[in-house]
Amino acid sequence: MTIIETSGLTKYYGDLCAVDHLDLSVGNEIFGLLGPNGSGKTTTVLMLTTLLEPTGGSARICGYDTREEAREVRRQISYVPQEMAVDIKLTGRENVAFFAKLYGIPRRDEAVDRVLSMMDLSERADDLVRTYSGGMRRRLELAQALVHEPKVLFLDEPTIGLDVAARRKIWEHIRTLKSRGMTIFVTTHYMDEADHSCDRVAILDRGRVIAVDSPSALRARVGNDIISARVRGQIGDTFPEGITHLGERDNGEIVFSTDHGSEKVPVLFHWLEKRGVSVQSISVREPTLDDVFLSLVTQREEGHGFDDHKFRTMLRRR
Amino acid sequence: MKDILYYFERDMLRWIRGRISVISALIMPAAWLIFVGLALPTTFSEHYIDFITPGILVLTMLGASLQGGSLLIFDKILGFLNKFLALPSSRESILLGKILFITTRGLIQATVILVLAWALGASLLSPAGILLSYGILALFGILLSAFSTTIALYLSDHDSYAAFNAMVSMPLFFTSSALMPYSVMPSWLAPIAYWNPVSFAIDAIRSLQEGVLAWTRIGGLAVLAALVVAFCVQKFRKVTV
Ligand SMILES: Nc1ncnc2c1ncn2[C@@H]1O[C@H](COP(=O)(O)OP(=O)(O)OP(=O)(O)O)[C@@H](O)[C@H]1O
Ligand SMILES: [Mg+2]
Repeated sequence: MTIIETSGLTKYYGDLCAVDHLDLSVGNEIFGLLGPNGSGKTTTVLMLTTLLEPTGGSARICGYDTREEAREVRRQISYVPQEMAVDIKLTGRENVAFFAKLYGIPRRDEAVDRVLSMMDLSERADDLVRTYSGGMRRRLELAQALVHEPKVLFLDEPTIGLDVAARRKIWEHIRTLKSRGMTIFVTTHYMDEADHSCDRVAILDRGRVIAVDSPSALRARVGNDIISARVRGQIGDTFPEGITHLGERDNGEIVFSTDHGSEKVPVLFHWLEKRGVSVQSISVREPTLDDVFLSLVTQREEGHGFDDHKFRTMLRRR
Repeated sequence: MKDILYYFERDMLRWIRGRISVISALIMPAAWLIFVGLALPTTFSEHYIDFITPGILVLTMLGASLQGGSLLIFDKILGFLNKFLALPSSRESILLGKILFITTRGLIQATVILVLAWALGASLLSPAGILLSYGILALFGILLSAFSTTIALYLSDHDSYAAFNAMVSMPLFFTSSALMPYSVMPSWLAPIAYWNPVSFAIDAIRSLQEGVLAWTRIGGLAVLAALVVAFCVQKFRKVTV
């Protein structure tokens, strides 16, 4: 069953292409849209929620076209924007009741109580939101969004600015909603969070989707193990048999992938030292979505426009 | 339709709970009346307070309406507007709710002025006259708040809105019949003042003082308000972020 479908969805801001021919098909799942700042996540969500007119292409939510049947789309969805927008001069209950009224929900008080308790806010429901923590405000926004029992929930960076415990709690709630049959479309640039909780993710880079798959399948694409090293000197571009250079992280770590991490560490170490590169640290770990992103982006930048098929065969050859 | 009331209720609660803003909203028009009404030397009127009160009433509505546009700017900057636009409820009720709130708030301020003017010795209108004055002020508030809220929809930050506000409110007020009658205006100003919508409202209220219903002025205001609201509703229906 397809809940969200986009075809060739494109948005230009003047000359800048923020979203470039997006083709996505999302079923009843937690679908994560991942990508660094400015990669086009918010722009995509704004188009899917009927708030922004696409420059080209189309999108359907539950079968309704976001342009032609915008009103119907809005009946199916809820949207929680990236900024935290709750009225601090109103109580938590008033904030939720306001949305319940606008949605025209029958038996409003019950519905409001239900979502407040679902988000663990019952105790503080009658306090002014001014006194709420960031995590509570986010959960209040979720309560507002859930009060009309939407089929699809759009969350734009739901955990930004929250501490670890609050983040974990938000994701727990998201998983609970999924288990009750809701489809959740969530954007984030925290790859680790998406890895734990999303059924599938799309990785976005400068407006283009460069991979769509389950987190585990994506991780498997870069091999069993990751070797990361800090070095001084030029590493060159040939490496020992069975070791693939994925790229360099922002923090200066050089990342390699391999199928037999602990065996290849000494091999790589000697190879580098023999070429006059001094190795300061070297370690083996499991691949993360960050590594996937790194390898995909590095390939794109190296000129041969990214080709998913070529990437797979290359990995198989290793 | 009910949605308009829900949006109105939200703005009202937020305003009332911001205590300071309520106090300032009530004191500002009073200060205007006292300084402009009593401190300016005048030669053309025996009873300047009677002459200036309609001007200050309309000025207050003007200020309240233009100030009111910033409500939408904040809703926009803080992300509320995006949430509202993603709701299935009709988008024009966002606009109409703002118009209702801004106009109501303006009328509350106008009441302060009426009471104060009366305390300062202005002659009182008949009950029907008072009612009609409120009607005229409401029409004027609807016209201006629809305009300012829709402008706010297209501006991206508070600074540019403040610039717009200053650019519009000063000329509108000073080229109106608020401060002097047409007979003493410079000849270049009189026709401009006559066609200024601010004067429509002021002249209509002044006529009430003489027991006259200025139908053309009231009608002009009503037609203008209807046109502007209809136009703004269209804009809100189609808006994208
Ligand atoms: N209203 C706008 N006008 C012009 N350019 C814009 C506008 N909104 C976004 N952009 C540009 O479009 C690109 C994508 O922005 P978008 O906000 O969708 O990214 P994002 O992935 O949500 O980033 P972040 O993680 O920072 O929220 C960026 O380069 C941004 O500068
Ligand atoms: Mg964003």
